[in-house]
Amino acid sequence: MIAQIKAVFPEAVNKDYDGNRLDLTVNKEAVPSVLLYLKDSMGFRHLSHIAYVDWIEQGEFELVYILWSPLDKVKLYVHTRINRENPVIENIDMIWRQANTYEREIREMLGIEFTGLVAPDEFILEDWDDIPPFRKDFDTLEYVNRTFWHRPGREDAQDVRSTISERSGEEIPDFAKKYSR
Amino acid sequence: MREKATTIYLGPQHPGITGNMMVRLKVIGDTIVSAQTEVGYLHRAFEKLQERRNWLQGFTLMCRFCVPESDPMENVYARSVEAIDGREVPERGKYIRVMVLELARIATQLMWYAGQNGSLGLYTMGQWSIGDRDYILDLFEELTGGRVYHMYQWPGGVRRDLPEGFTDKVLRTLDYLEKRLKDYDDLMFANSIFQKRTQGVGIVPKENIIEHGVVGPVLRGAGIRSDIRIDEPYEVYDKLDFEIPTQEGSDIWARALVRRAEVHQSIRIIRQVIDQMPSGEYFNKFPNPLKWIVPAGDAYVRVESGRGEVGFYAVSDGTIHPRRMHLRGAAYVHAITLLESILPGQNIADVSAIMNSLGTCAPEIER
Repeated sequence: MIAQIKAVFPEAVNKDYDGNRLDLTVNKEAVPSVLLYLKDSMGFRHLSHIAYVDWIEQGEFELVYILWSPLDKVKLYVHTRINRENPVIENIDMIWRQANTYEREIREMLGIEFTGLVAPDEFILEDWDDIPPFRKDFDTLEYVNRTFWHRPGREDAQDVRSTISERSGEEIPDFAKKYSR
Repeated sequence: MREKATTIYLGPQHPGITGNMMVRLKVIGDTIVSAQTEVGYLHRAFEKLQERRNWLQGFTLMCRFCVPESDPMENVYARSVEAIDGREVPERGKYIRVMVLELARIATQLMWYAGQNGSLGLYTMGQWSIGDRDYILDLFEELTGGRVYHMYQWPGGVRRDLPEGFTDKVLRTLDYLEKRLKDYDDLMFANSIFQKRTQGVGIVPKENIIEHGVVGPVLRGAGIRSDIRIDEPYEVYDKLDFEIPTQEGSDIWARALVRRAEVHQSIRIIRQVIDQMPSGEYFNKFPNPLKWIVPAGDAYVRVESGRGEVGFYAVSDGTIHPRRMHLRGAAYVHAITLLESILPGQNIADVSAIMNSLGTCAPEIER
């Protein structure tokens, strides 16, 4: 089976550390046709996962379609890269129905547009008006400090150790000072 | 006269829903005409948090992805890091992992016994099986220190060796459970209420079932012999002798029979594991966790949980922090596209029973 795939896609590579695994990198324009071919003609019937990674240093998003062939017991990773500036890719939920859920999540979490995707706007987030949260330039800490605030009257409870020591008059041991804020 | 459809909301807080999620149902009379799953009540951004943590800290979050079933998640995390890092696990560590995974499978199915019967108003079964599940949680507590979240399987092996006399206690618990399973059969499978409420209800169409992403007991309940333990053997499953039970009905009843048989198979596996358990090391040390750099690479590993395939995609860019961690749970497909497609035509009263039989777990969807 691996030889057969390599005959059709010569650029496919075997990664030795992960058993029955095969990696394939394709252009984003070719994704639907390659996936359809793999499903219909190569026996990769099961779409196991669509993973997404933000490679901000290279200015790209990566999508990884992970397919499984139940008959040949081969796991195939189809990688594709999308420009961060204009993140658009073809929708594939007519090939695998459940891809719709993955694409809804990716649209919300990375801001990638899937042409032709029909799905409700919101998936997990509600009334989100910041940049998509799974982008690497989204700063979780800064967002939390901006969005949430301390309950009034609890300001002194921020450093528990020093508060307790002030109230009780006991010295903080040296080893604990090291970890105090 | 043409009847008007009414919208009703099942959840997010509802005793019949497994976890916090909502199903928006359009009904005519008490028949469902359309269903839409809404999630977002539990989002904790675990995957985003992982990016700020190091490789060891990430592991403490893993077990929390799905509350009733923590061990498969730990296993995929550990194995994905091992795959990228080229880290070996000693043979004894692998056997202990399989024992823990199978005990977890029994605990999950006992929880399912309770949920499935509770959704039909048969509460005695739940009191029995949750009580018996506690005997397994006692074992986990002795082995790992935690009852529900164990944080036990980490990259390189497991955290502690088996305590003195532990395997005897496991065997005693299994003997007890085996006796109890006969009582369960009498109370549940011989009960005509259970039969009538489950046979022919919640049928998952067999056509294109693999293409639709159906996994685990739901797929086996439709007559397809598919299990990651034999398809892509991990740990030491290739050295163990067990069967993959299947049923043909593809309804709640068929899936119940599959799960019932799986408990028996798990007991069989654990006995073999204890029999074959090698001595020696249980853990290969990893470097100082604060400075542990995992080489650049990615890996997707899968495990057969009690509810089906759990996959985990880890990416390292060669630093002390993971670049990306991404979990695929069985419920991600089952609770959304599958549930939405099989609910139309069903009765409102059966929704909870169908959700339970599909193995819905809301926290796993939102991660």
